[in-house]
Amino acid sequence: MKRETAIWISLGAGNLLASAVGVTAGLGVLPKQAVVIATVLALLTGTGFLLLIWRHLGKLRKISQTLDSQAMIVPADFRSTVLEETAASVRGYSLKVKEQVICVQEENQALSLQLQVLGRRKSNIEEIINSIRDAVVVSDDKGRVILANHSAEKLFGFKFDPQSPKPVAEMIGEEALQLLIQRCRQSRTAHVRHELTFERGGEPVTFDVVLSCVLDDTSGEAAQVVTVLHDVTREKEIAQAKNDFVSHVSHELKTPLASINAYAEMLVDGEAEDEDTRNQFCEVIQSQAQRLGRLIEDILNISRIESGLIKVHKETHSLALVVRDSVEMIKSYAQEKNISIDAPAPILYDQVYIDRDMVSQVVINLLSNAVKYTPAGGHITINSELNEADGQVTVTVTDTGVGIPAEDVDHVFDKFYRVEANNKYAKGTGLGLNLVKQIVETVHSGAIFVTSVQNEGSTFGFTLPLSVDAAQSVS
Amino acid sequence: MENRKALVVDDEFHIVQVVSIKLKNNGFEVTTAENGQMAYDLACEVKPDVIITDYQMPVMSGVEFIEKLRSNEETAATPVIMLTARGFAIEDDRKDALRVSAYLSKPFSPREVLQTVDDVLKQTAAV
Repeated sequence: MKRETAIWISLGAGNLLASAVGVTAGLGVLPKQAVVIATVLALLTGTGFLLLIWRHLGKLRKISQTLDSQAMIVPADFRSTVLEETAASVRGYSLKVKEQVICVQEENQALSLQLQVLGRRKSNIEEIINSIRDAVVVSDDKGRVILANHSAEKLFGFKFDPQSPKPVAEMIGEEALQLLIQRCRQSRTAHVRHELTFERGGEPVTFDVVLSCVLDDTSGEAAQVVTVLHDVTREKEIAQAKNDFVSHVSHELKTPLASINAYAEMLVDGEAEDEDTRNQFCEVIQSQAQRLGRLIEDILNISRIESGLIKVHKETHSLALVVRDSVEMIKSYAQEKNISIDAPAPILYDQVYIDRDMVSQVVINLLSNAVKYTPAGGHITINSELNEADGQVTVTVTDTGVGIPAEDVDHVFDKFYRVEANNKYAKGTGLGLNLVKQIVETVHSGAIFVTSVQNEGSTFGFTLPLSVDAAQSVS
Repeated sequence: MENRKALVVDDEFHIVQVVSIKLKNNGFEVTTAENGQMAYDLACEVKPDVIITDYQMPVMSGVEFIEKLRSNEETAATPVIMLTARGFAIEDDRKDALRVSAYLSKPFSPREVLQTVDDVLKQTAAV
């Protein structure tokens, strides 16, 4: 009986394995070799079962023949006893077979349920990988792409088909990356990081590339290389802009500081021969120190606005009144140069929700620029226009000044940008208009603009949204 | 020491002023210019013993000015001191052709300028 039990167990296990292999092979969970081995096992155990039945049938036949031949000497009750025992034994077997079949069916059900769960998990993982904005490419030990997400497809311009994996070199045009993947597979590096720049749409795009080699658990052989490409172009641009800003700021700060140093040294060395020269040296030192102070103040203000740290005190004001007050402040400076200013009649209901000091700074900056770059005898016109439909008010400052060369117009609001051709008219920090832009656009959600014709004049203007209350009273 | 002539070229008024006064007070006859073109014309006319020039100026840059000086036989040998800013760079072969005697980076001190001018003139005299 012991041997039979063992056969039964192996039979059951064989069936279980065979059905498991059958289902999983269909879904591609197990490798081909495993499917072959399991099928052979199942066949072997199935054959064992048939042999067992065959042996028992043979035994029964022999007993029956013996009983027939010795009918005269074997008592009838002995015959029936043997037959009954045999029948009982066969019944026992068939019962066991039934139990096994039920057991296998249950296992089958459980397995198909597990497979469903696995299938769902697999598609879920695919969704997750595809939702990653970084490009992900997985290649196997033969250097074929066996997984790629949508970002990778878009980046390298291929269509990934899991049914027919193609070599990396065929899918990815960039030789540098092909080489990195190959090197990572050969060196079995667990984690390696590189920076690569590709040309995309005529623009260089820089990627932070992380490659990881996944080793096979059992053989320890290099199996797959996972490549993740993260676009760092924007980060690099920001870092570069920051570096440029710092180097520019230090250069701008050095210029007035150099003058202060030089003139102070001249005073110390007694190089100013008379009282007037000494006074002039002191004035240079003072004006350069003031310039340094303005520069630092502008830089800090721009930086505060950009980082959102500036304290803004917004209230509802009439923009026309802000403009009128600013004109008053600039009037004497304009008169010195014999420049006339035409100010508008105040517009009713031009209520804007603004930080008054900051917007005053904008108007004063535009006006003083107009005076600076307009030759004596020129003219400055200020205009305000209310656009009720759009809920906006626009202020423009137009001068009859030197104008801005066409190639410079688009850059006048850039940090530290100086129009080289106009350098001789006024010294500036190159920060004023950038600050104006930041105040109008970042702090007040408005818009700044400029139009200019060289040797004819410029118009600088800005648009601010009317305050909600003002818009209501207008309607 | 008499009649030493210097030409100071810079578009920044304060630099021209401070360098001019320092040199004048130390026995130089000083001429000034605010761009390369003006400076070249003056150099041909005045024939200075030494030229101190900024490298970045409107109309004609310091480098173009020196190249023009070197191409003229009369001014080809005039020693030049160049005032530069941080990050200043010119290609090596171009730099060789300029034969600039000394580079001074801004911010500089007037004492430093005077010292450099004296050194350069001594070197030139020795040659």
